Amino acid sequence: MKSIKRCQFVISLFIVVFILGMAALVVKIQREASFYMMNSGNHELGMVYDRNGDVLFDGSLEDSDRKYEDNYFIDVGNLIGDNKGQMTNTLVAKNIEKLNNYSFSQGLVLEGGKAAIYTTLDHKANRKVYDAFGGNDGCAVAYNYKTGEILICTSLPSLDVTKGYDNIADFRTGTLISKAMYGTVPGSTQKVSTVISALEIMGADRLFSKRFTCEGKYTNKSGDVIDCHDAYGHGTLDIQQAVEKSCNPFFAQLIEDDELPLSRLKEVYKRLGYAINGSESEYIDINGIQCEKASTTLNDPYEFKTQWGCIGQGDTLVSPVQLMMWQSAIANGTGKMTMPYLIDKVTNVHGRVTETAETSYSKALFSEDTADTMRQILLTNGANNYSYLINGYTIGVKSGTAQVDDGKKENSLLVGFVDDKALPIAFCILLEDRNSTSLKTENIAQVMLDALSE
Amino acid sequence: MTDNPISYFFSCLFVLAAHIAMLANVFINGNYDSITSVIVLSCAVLILDIAYFVFMLFFRQSSYTINFLLILVLNMSVIFQSCFGGVYFSVKHYITAIAALAACHAGYLLCRDYRWLQQHRTFVYIGIGILFIAILTLTGSRSMWISIGSFSLQPSEFIKPLFVLACATSVFEQQKKHRILCFNVVYENLAPLALIILICLLQWWCSDLGSLPTFAAIYISGFLLRICYPKAKFSKKTFILACVILLAAALAAMKFAPAYVQDRLHTDIWNNTDGSGYQQSQALIGIASGGWFGKGPGKGFLCNVFAHENDIVFATICEEWGLLYSLMMICVILIMIAVPLINPPRSYYHGTMAAGVCAAFTVQMALNIFGSCNMIPFTGVTIPFISAGGSSMMVSGFMIGMLNASLTPTIIHRKQRRQPA
Repeated sequence: MKSIKRCQFVISLFIVVFILGMAALVVKIQREASFYMMNSGNHELGMVYDRNGDVLFDGSLEDSDRKYEDNYFIDVGNLIGDNKGQMTNTLVAKNIEKLNNYSFSQGLVLEGGKAAIYTTLDHKANRKVYDAFGGNDGCAVAYNYKTGEILICTSLPSLDVTKGYDNIADFRTGTLISKAMYGTVPGSTQKVSTVISALEIMGADRLFSKRFTCEGKYTNKSGDVIDCHDAYGHGTLDIQQAVEKSCNPFFAQLIEDDELPLSRLKEVYKRLGYAINGSESEYIDINGIQCEKASTTLNDPYEFKTQWGCIGQGDTLVSPVQLMMWQSAIANGTGKMTMPYLIDKVTNVHGRVTETAETSYSKALFSEDTADTMRQILLTNGANNYSYLINGYTIGVKSGTAQVDDGKKENSLLVGFVDDKALPIAFCILLEDRNSTSLKTENIAQVMLDALSE
Repeated sequence: MTDNPISYFFSCLFVLAAHIAMLANVFINGNYDSITSVIVLSCAVLILDIAYFVFMLFFRQSSYTINFLLILVLNMSVIFQSCFGGVYFSVKHYITAIAALAACHAGYLLCRDYRWLQQHRTFVYIGIGILFIAILTLTGSRSMWISIGSFSLQPSEFIKPLFVLACATSVFEQQKKHRILCFNVVYENLAPLALIILICLLQWWCSDLGSLPTFAAIYISGFLLRICYPKAKFSKKTFILACVILLAAALAAMKFAPAYVQDRLHTDIWNNTDGSGYQQSQALIGIASGGWFGKGPGKGFLCNVFAHENDIVFATICEEWGLLYSLMMICVILIMIAVPLINPPRSYYHGTMAAGVCAAFTVQMALNIFGSCNMIPFTGVTIPFISAGGSSMMVSGFMIGMLNASLTPTIIHRKQRRQPA
């Protein structure tokens, strides 16, 4: 009988392994069925809403439908996107499965499906900021640096996705992307990173004791000339004044300073998330949307390219979202970035919440002392130079002018945060080709903060 | 059976009720142009049921459990296959189902007496040899099919039951050890080893590597029961050595597999939905669109996909009948091969034979189901009794007959128990 039991054991073994495999298959099918259906070309998509219930994308919309007024979605057109496949790095494209009005038990629900994504965006505020650009190109992004909710993210030029892509050849460059997610030359907003690095390496006391003189231009130790935007020079400056004046010669001399060794500068830059000297860049994931990380060149502290990169020109690239995230690490006073998100919650076909957002933070990029000092520097700059331009808010800011297209054009940037517990907003605004318009980034910031504080 | 007419009656009733319920579903939810097709199908299924119940009365066996399960699953299969893409009566599958029933009884009659089987083991080897020659000479340019008019036979399928018999062994046979150098060798154990090597070479020659795991599983079950029988001096070293050799062979097979196998091992089906991932991606979409309860018999789209009735038959059934029903179908087959766990094999020889059949069935089902659902590389093996194909149906029937023959004769058992009293 014992021998027969051995045979039965072997039979049981095969059957049990097979049953386990079948169980795994059922779990797999349950979990992935929605994905399979999305690949079938036969699906019913749900809605994307803003934080107040405004529709940002309507999956039930047919090409011929004119349910929404003209350009209703234009302020978020290239961020929310659609399911037509022309834009791949958008909220809908990256989360299309979540919008599938399908369940394994019910199959496709043709009408009354409740699959939806509820975003953190404020459509009305977003629209106001979009309108504030007045037809100029650029982008603006703002989020709550306490929670991580992205409230505003608009990028121009944009499109009304309900009109389709028949005239795609006439679209202007950048129409199909949200510029906030892509690297741009940061201009002097880069100096925030350089000051953070100097604070980390030298400490606040040593950095504040440094004095460098600006005579309008500075010939560095390699013999190259770094120009200042003020041809008459700023005279002798300390770090606070240098930030406020955005003095290029001061920062070129700071980079050359022996107390700021390049190896340690690289370390801090890497911690901040820069890809240095062509190393492989990664992405920041915002609910599936890939946001480019910063990159720069740091070869030799006496070399023009390195100094120019630390000033925010040349081949340094940072996305507006990342510039905004660094502001959160400063504003929070922790040195940790609040990770931004766009999706507040997701409901399935039955309307049941399947996913809710949670606030998360990056690892510490710099110390709390550094964050505190940097915060004071930016707040002082805001108080001294922007309080009359952006009324009604205590803000810490840094502006920047980026030379693009080989210096033929200049982009204007403004990064900052509101020092107010009731309105904890960090932001970044990019205005392209600033010389072609009388509009200033500060004007857009004013509209943005007013809209968000309503 | 005649000993327990109540059990017989209720078993018949259960099978009939199951088939009537399925036919009612076809009638209510099915996709058909004329009610005639449903009536023809219903009549065919019910007539076969009743005819088999009557036939069983004249065919004395120790146990009829497997027979009831077999007719249940075979007519389920007839209904499934008659509904793909629209309700019609699949005559071909119906005939193969009857052939499977006949093969089951042939298997039962041939495999009851293990002494007779052991005495005539030479015929097993001769049979395998003939099939080898047939494959090498008659299948054309390195394929696995022999075409006779409009019929096609797959001779490699017929090797399976013979190989199960070749791998079956008795405790007595394992005692006949011979000293060669420093090893104790059982001559009888060398034959399955030689056969599995030859089968591997043959399958490689036929470009039919998908069947190899089935043969490997039969061999492994036989091997395990040869080294682990109760009176064997079980050697952990032998077991570990065998595992290492098996692992090395599997790794070597993966590395040196032909290009088409490598392609299947590494293909991303969702990036090749129009190419090498077409069948699997369509199968998964079919399962998803069927959900738990299916779209309805004949209302699926998978009938337009190549090999929907055999290679991806699980998905085709899921789509039309639902995952729940497909799982029930698999469950019936599993119960059938699990019968030896309730009614134990009558001898060690029969036990090893039952284990071989069980190994072949589970691995075939796993290859088909998990392969079509992209859990393992896709192969073209069939699900026993469910997939279309005459060779597969007959061989599966024969093997289930072998399983039936291995069960302890309960009538004799009862008589023996009465004797001491």
